[in-house]
Formats: sequence, C-alpha cells, structure tokens
Amino acid sequence: MLLQFPAANNPDVDLKTTYDAVIVGSGAGGGMAAHVLTAHGLKVLLLEAGKAQDTSKILHSMQWPYDHPRRGKMPPEYHALTNEYSIRKPPYAENSPYKSVQSYVQGWGGSDYSKTLVVNEKEHPYTGTRYAWVRSRAVGGKTNIWGRLALRLSDYDFKAKERDGFGENWPVSYADIEPYYDKVDLYLGISGHPENLPYLPDSKFQRPVKLNYAEMHLRETLKGMGRVLTPYRAGVTTDGLKHNKYRSRCYGRGACSRHVGGCDIHAAFDSPTGLIRPAMDTGNLTLRPNSTVYEVTVDKDTGKATGVSVIDTETRKNYEVKARTVLLAASTLESARLMLLSKSSAHPNGIGNSSGHVGHNFCEHVMGPSVAGFMKDLVGKPRTLDDGRPGGFYVARFRNLDKRSDFLRGYGYEGGSGTTMTPGAAYDTPGFGEEYKKHVRDYAGATISMGAFGEVLARYENAVGIDPHVKDAFGIPVLRFGYQFGENERKMAADMAVSAREMFEAAKFEIVSSSDKMLTEGWSIHEMGTARMGNDPKTSVVNQFQQSHDVPNLLVVDGSTHVSASCQNPTWTIMALCWRSCDHLAELLKKGEV
Amino acid sequence: MNALGEINRREALMLAGGVFLCLQLPAAEPGAPLFFTPDEFALLDKLTELIIPADDHSPGAHETGVAAYIDRTVAEAYVPDEKTSWRKGLAAIGELLRASDVQPADVLTKLAAKETDPQTEAEKFFTQLKQTTAFTYYSSSIGIHQEMGYLGNVILQEFRGYEAN
Repeated sequence: MLLQFPAANNPDVDLKTTYDAVIVGSGAGGGMAAHVLTAHGLKVLLLEAGKAQDTSKILHSMQWPYDHPRRGKMPPEYHALTNEYSIRKPPYAENSPYKSVQSYVQGWGGSDYSKTLVVNEKEHPYTGTRYAWVRSRAVGGKTNIWGRLALRLSDYDFKAKERDGFGENWPVSYADIEPYYDKVDLYLGISGHPENLPYLPDSKFQRPVKLNYAEMHLRETLKGMGRVLTPYRAGVTTDGLKHNKYRSRCYGRGACSRHVGGCDIHAAFDSPTGLIRPAMDTGNLTLRPNSTVYEVTVDKDTGKATGVSVIDTETRKNYEVKARTVLLAASTLESARLMLLSKSSAHPNGIGNSSGHVGHNFCEHVMGPSVAGFMKDLVGKPRTLDDGRPGGFYVARFRNLDKRSDFLRGYGYEGGSGTTMTPGAAYDTPGFGEEYKKHVRDYAGATISMGAFGEVLARYENAVGIDPHVKDAFGIPVLRFGYQFGENERKMAADMAVSAREMFEAAKFEIVSSSDKMLTEGWSIHEMGTARMGNDPKTSVVNQFQQSHDVPNLLVVDGSTHVSASCQNPTWTIMALCWRSCDHLAELLKKGEV
Repeated sequence: MNALGEINRREALMLAGGVFLCLQLPAAEPGAPLFFTPDEFALLDKLTELIIPADDHSPGAHETGVAAYIDRTVAEAYVPDEKTSWRKGLAAIGELLRASDVQPADVLTKLAAKETDPQTEAEKFFTQLKQTTAFTYYSSSIGIHQEMGYLGNVILQEFRGYEAN
C-alpha cells in the first residue's frame, strides 16, 4: 500500500528559518519546482492551501458503480455545477440550498470523488463574467484529476506572432525548451507514438496506447486528407519508472475515465507521487498542507520578496514564513490574484505588476464543437474491450500551418471509440422498449466521437482583477472576471464543427450528432496567460526564466506565464518551463545573485 | 493464463492497495418504498420495465430493481422541488394511462416522439424518466455484465489494439 503523506496534515513550519525557497501551490508547477530545487540541495518549503489526501485510498478505481451506494454520485447535501455556467453569472453558489456546491469537473460532474478535491463555491466565490472555474485545493491540485493528454508546443506556438502578426512571441524558442521536455518525459513517463510533425513535436515515448478498429480506420482516412490522428499522448507510464517507487506502470484497467479521472496506482502522473514524495525523500523538502497564502511579503527598502503570509486553513491562525526566494504556482488565476493582493509602498499595483499586465492576456482553450457517430461494420459484432488504456486518440492541428484560414491559430481533437462501462448510446438512442435495448447493445461497440480544443487568443482586455467588495471564507478578496470569447473563437468554433463532420463523412461513419456550440468560458480547465513571460518589462510580467522583472527573487512557475494558449494542452509545458527556470534559479542562488 | 502472471512482486503489492480494497456497502433493502406511495411505486416500476424490458438476452428494469433505486435517490438525494416534480410527472403519465382504450406502449410511443423537444408535463417527465432509467439500468450489475457483456475493468498486460503505422 502506498501511503503518500505523513498522517499529520499540519507539520510544524520552522518560523525562524529562512528557507532557500517557499513554493505556493503543489500542482504540476509547484511539484516540479520542489523536485528541481531540492535536487539542487536547496531547503524548500512547499505550501498547499488544501488538504493532504491519499488518493490511493479514496479513489477506488476499480469499484463497480453498483457497489457504491449512490452509483458514484456525491451525497445529497452536495451539488455539482453544470447548467448554471451557461445560464447564470457568478457567484454560482449564491442562494444555493445545498451545503456544498462543487465546481464542475469535466464530464464527471457530481462524482463522489470530486467532492474531496474541488473547492466548495460557498467558501470560494468569484464575480464578474461567466466562467466555469474549476479549482482543486488539495496536495497535487488539478494533477489529481487531469485528463493526462501530454503534448509539446513548438515554434508554431512560441513564435506564432512571426507567422500571423498577432500578440507576442514567447521569449523562448523550441530549442530552448526541448531538453527540458526530454527531462520531464524521462522523469515522469509519457506514452505516445512518434509522428515527426514540426507543429506537434514527439516526446521520449514509452509504449504507445494502441488504437482500436474504428480509430485505426479514421487514422488511415485522415492520412489521405493530410491530417494526423495519433494514439493518445498520455502522461502515463506504460513501461514503468525504475527511479520512482511510488508509481506503478499502467495496467489498462480503463479506470482513468471514471471517478473523475485520477489513478490509484499512479501510473498517470500526479504531482504528489511523481514529484513531491520523491522530493521529500531528499530530506530537503517540507510540505505543509492547509496553508492558504494571502500575501507575498516584501522588504520595504529593497522591494524584494521576504516570504509569504499564511492563514492556516483549519485553525485560521496567521503566520509568516521567511524565504530567500518565493515561487508562485497557485494556478494561473490564483497566482495572479495573489500578486494583485500583495500591494505595498514598493509595489502599489501589486507585486511584480509595474507593467499593469498581471491578470491580463488571460487565455485558454475553447471547446464544444464535436461529432459523434458509429462505424457500420462494427454494429452487432461480438463485444470487444476498448477502454483498457489511458486514452483514445488525438487529431493534431491542421489549420494555419501553410495556408491561412479566416481565423487565426489552430485546434485539435480528442476522441475515442468503442465500448465503455456504461454505454453512451443509452442516452442518445431514441425510443424505448426491446428495440431501444437491442439498439444500445448492438451499437455500443461501434461508437466513435471526438471534440475540439482550440487556441483562444491572448488579448489584453480579457482579464481578472480583485473584486472590491466580495471576500472568501478566509476574508481574502476574490477575483472578478472580465473575460469573454471573441470573434476569432466564434469563427474557429464554426470551422471545428464543419471539419469534424467532414472527417467522419470521409471515414464513412454514420453521424448521430454533432455540435457547433461553444461551451461556457473556462470549460477546458486550461486557463493561462495572466502573468506572461517576455523580454520587455513594460509589456510582460516575468522574464524567460519566469523571474519577475520587478522583483528578482519572485518567480511564477505555473500556466500564468504562458504567452499564448497554443491549442496543445499546457501541463507538460508548465513542467518543462518550470524545470528550466528552477535550474536557472539554483545557479543564481549559488552565485548569490538573487 | 493468470492475468497477474507477469506482474512482479512489487507491482502486485502496489496494485493490491488500489485494486482489491473494495468498500462493502449495503445493498438497497427490499420492502416498502421510501418516498413514493405503493401505487406510485407500482406505476414507476411498470414504466421503467416498459422502457427497458426483459428480453431473451437479459432481465429488464424490474428485475434489476431500477424503481427501488430511483425511489431511494428521490427520497434521499432530491430537494423538495425535485421530489414534487417526480410525483407530478408520474401523475401526469398515470392520467394518460387511465384512459380506458389505450395500451401503455402506445402512450409511451407518443411521449417518446417528443423526446428531444418535450413540451407537456408528461413529455418532459418521460424524457427525465428515460434518462434516469438508462443510467440506473446500465450502471447495475445486470446492465453492465449480463446485458452489455462489458469486458473491461480488469488488469491487462497490454491493451490489444492496432499499432499505429
């Protein structure tokens, strides 16, 4: 049995020590910072607002739904937000009769497991425009529930401005980041099949996920259209990792798409077992859960960061922690909130915000357009096992590579085919009775579907700020959203829907349903950009090593530093950039240059 | 062959943590309905069986206990408004069925015709009832194993599919 953490949730922090680094947040960015800095021999304190939980014990990945008293759903006093996001504005828990209101989590809204990981909106409200903001306050953050798609960005993303004139280039190129992608691949494990695409670079892959019959057929069809369907590139170790005793290799239980994701044998990467626990084994890391950071403290003479102010989430006691460097990895929006809240005479607009760009250039992925159908050859055929793997397929972007569309940037699709534990056809097959039942049975193995994820342009006017009136349960002012999709996203979404149908028609699949509707802002859970990197301190917040232009001992190592959203999922890039920045920071600390 | 055949000792130990620790939970007890009246419950049971009937392949909603599960869910998990809407919905369909010269299947056929765009109380309720019946049936042991013959949720050495290329 893997026990991830000591039983005590509130280990003592040495308030007299000045740590080499304090890290705020324990997800992909914070976990990676802890790993890299402790490996350099630095003394590190990792603060997490939420609890330490042993997901090995709470996940029950192989539990059958009928062995759970509510078939996997949350207890009655809990409510999962779904429709509210499309019909109302935040705060979403206002006047709710439920004791606890949970932010939506992908397709698993209402999962019993999600209640332990995502925040209660009653304690953590926000205001402004519609936004499905999913936050996980728990050790490991959203890596406990992520979708595992682990993609690299390329110079089509880092240097996108050179191609289409929009926005800003990143202050790094693929050549700078490639060695760090390699390190992340080898340290954490990634499954995939090499395709040699300049716009979707290959990783150091372990054994790929195999395709099933309909997926293979679609791959062949798309080849003829000059498009690439590749097996799901999963941040999952399929061959195992000899250097990590906390993680098993994948055993194809198909459990990762149930119970809100997550993996109780940790074959899928999560920060607690992939990064934090090994970092604790170095003896250089102190992890303190239940620690809500509400301010970065500064020396009023030098303006440099001196540490952070913390509220204990359980006792509500305040304390201060001292550190030579402060690394923010609280998530794109929480890191921006923390910077904006950290006002002082040295930093009147919030720490690191002399540019006025903190909270701005907020971007993510637009999703919604999708297609679902079936492959006639497979109807009524003997049952096959189709979901014993960490994902189905990914269709790489194909727009705005050589030719220009009427919109900027690109999109890809995630999809899959075949039987799942409970058949999707049960919900979209019309009618009732014997005919309905037989139809569900016969078509369950023949289904195939995919949905698009597209780049939302990073625009200055899309921003979050501090609400002047509303506070959370800890008395900390909350975020106010001013964020909406624009014309480019609408044009892209229309094209996503047309292309999806076009590919299914080319494959001669029978289309059952398709959608061209965008889901509410935030649905992708891929928020980025609120503290972007750049070379110019007037238009960016951090430099290429994620170091604040204003405050050299403050780093931001989460998705907030991404200059553009790309259409490729951000987790692997968050970790590659963080590794590079922390190597750089360790150098600076050794030389005494921060 | 034993599926665990090639798994080494350490791996088996790791799997044991997540895999073989299963919560033992009480099954729904038979007996009086928790929320619905006996008449309402009988109607609910009849409707769910009409939606997913027993056939030569597997048992239907009745034998699977779909109505009992719905009754318990409505009793324990639904807020008062939702409880009322279930009661009203059942009453609306019940009224249609009471007309002397109709077959229940014909009533449902009419309601199902409006499935994607329900207007009346009975039509809206039918859609809700069907979705709930489908969820309950296909997440049950009979639904997953006997009806669907689901092969997954097992420990695989390797997923059998096609190599890309």
